[in-house]
Amino acid sequence: MNPQIGDFITQTLLGGAEVEDTEDLLLSGQIDSLGVMRLVAFIEQTLSITVPPEDVVIEHFQSLAAIEAYLETRTMR
Amino acid sequence: MFKSLESVIALYGIMKAGCAYVPLDPNAPEDRLKRIVAECRLSGLAIHPATAKRANLFAQGEGSLAVFGAEAEFWETLGARDANVVSLPTPSPTDLAYIMFTSGSTGTPKGIQHTHHSGLAYARMAASLYGLTPDDRLGNHSPFHFDMSTFEVFAGPVAGACSVLIPEAHARLPASLSQLVEAEKLTVWYSVPFAISQLVDHGALAQRNISALRWVIFGGEPIQTRYLRALAKHAPRARFSNSYGPAEVNQCTYFHASAQDIELLEKLPLGGPCPHAELKLVDHDGQDADRGELLVKTEAMMRGYWGSAQADGEVFCEERSGRWYRTGDLVERQPGGELVFLGRLDRQVKLRGHRIELEEVEAVLSELNGVVDACAAVRADQATLCAFVQIEDGDGPSAQSLRAYAGKHLPRYACPSEYIFTDTFPRTASGKIDRAALAKTLEAPCP
Repeated sequence: MNPQIGDFITQTLLGGAEVEDTEDLLLSGQIDSLGVMRLVAFIEQTLSITVPPEDVVIEHFQSLAAIEAYLETRTMR
Repeated sequence: MFKSLESVIALYGIMKAGCAYVPLDPNAPEDRLKRIVAECRLSGLAIHPATAKRANLFAQGEGSLAVFGAEAEFWETLGARDANVVSLPTPSPTDLAYIMFTSGSTGTPKGIQHTHHSGLAYARMAASLYGLTPDDRLGNHSPFHFDMSTFEVFAGPVAGACSVLIPEAHARLPASLSQLVEAEKLTVWYSVPFAISQLVDHGALAQRNISALRWVIFGGEPIQTRYLRALAKHAPRARFSNSYGPAEVNQCTYFHASAQDIELLEKLPLGGPCPHAELKLVDHDGQDADRGELLVKTEAMMRGYWGSAQADGEVFCEERSGRWYRTGDLVERQPGGELVFLGRLDRQVKLRGHRIELEEVEAVLSELNGVVDACAAVRADQATLCAFVQIEDGDGPSAQSLRAYAGKHLPRYACPSEYIFTDTFPRTASGKIDRAALAKTLEAPCP
């Protein structure tokens, strides 16, 4: 994972909480809908890519591992 | 419990057993949950295996609390049990069915008690008002600790309709939410306006087919009609309905908006009374008026607040015509008879549909050592909560400790996102904090 994005998630969105790579970030409400929007904006800015709304789905944003896998598909293109 | 089939089984099982259910928000801070457990003297806790670890830890500290459902086996074998071995009580209509906790201005959450009669009165009215049939598929967006969930949990089953539980994760990701609306062919949608605005702005609706929707119902706070105009393009069959009613009385007014209303109006009126409700507006002296506080009389009214005769006394108004509930909402009757919401008479606010008493936020912050006074206000342009805090010289808490303390005692949505330290508060002539002046300082956009 891009370290800046990893930091943004763990420090800014999760307030420094420790989370497992596969932990569900959405179910427990650790990241709410506004948090997801902030993350998407941060990814777009940091990686200079556009994340289309249809990509912002559970499969891509459920956990740190899912986010990392999604970003890999995006940066390989 | 998070939303799951098990959670619905638990709700109905508890009521079948003659008990009342008290839905707890699994994301609420532990101290708040403990307060509710103690205050209601809860005897049992139904949990889901997915959250068993946290729930068991929680229950350990609560001596008399029996825990059900920690093992997956408990739920898997439920269906195989012989239901006839236990004789179930027949609840009386006046028996308690559920208690929902909401923000209380004293700093302690208030438990709204509904009976089988009041809950069913609402469910039957809603099923009939929206003409629900067994062909309908209702999307349950609201969590169970939020009163709007009784639409899908009670009104759907009353009509024989199918209620589709929307998992928490879907509710947070609009593009997944719209996938679910399409895949489940939902015909009825009911949520706070915020969820609709999210669907429109981030739901990738151009790529979804949500045309099965025939009702889009919203309530909890005013909606901007531009979101409905945008949604109507994707859901051409849908009718739109503005629903209003505090959790204490359930939905008591409705306004079915025509295509023309959505086109021409920026905000929708509350409309007129639901078939099971009587409404009146009274002025300061309690006299009937065309502009004043809205009072409601309905079968779907709560029995009262849990354990607080004083709180009951503040909201119930006993008259020869019966018991009326004071909503605290300032409302005006338009020449055509339609009611329009003007604002609150007290300091309750709504943020993304969540009901928050600003006094509760202030009471919690003031508990912290070193806090002299606190005042909470809403930054209107961003719909966020700010707290102005005056601390003792050189010995007050930091914004970080205030944030941590609020996080422990208030639901997430009621935690201020911004702390502004101040040496002194502007005061009114009578010496009270001049809240209007403070709120004014928030009008300038955030730097």
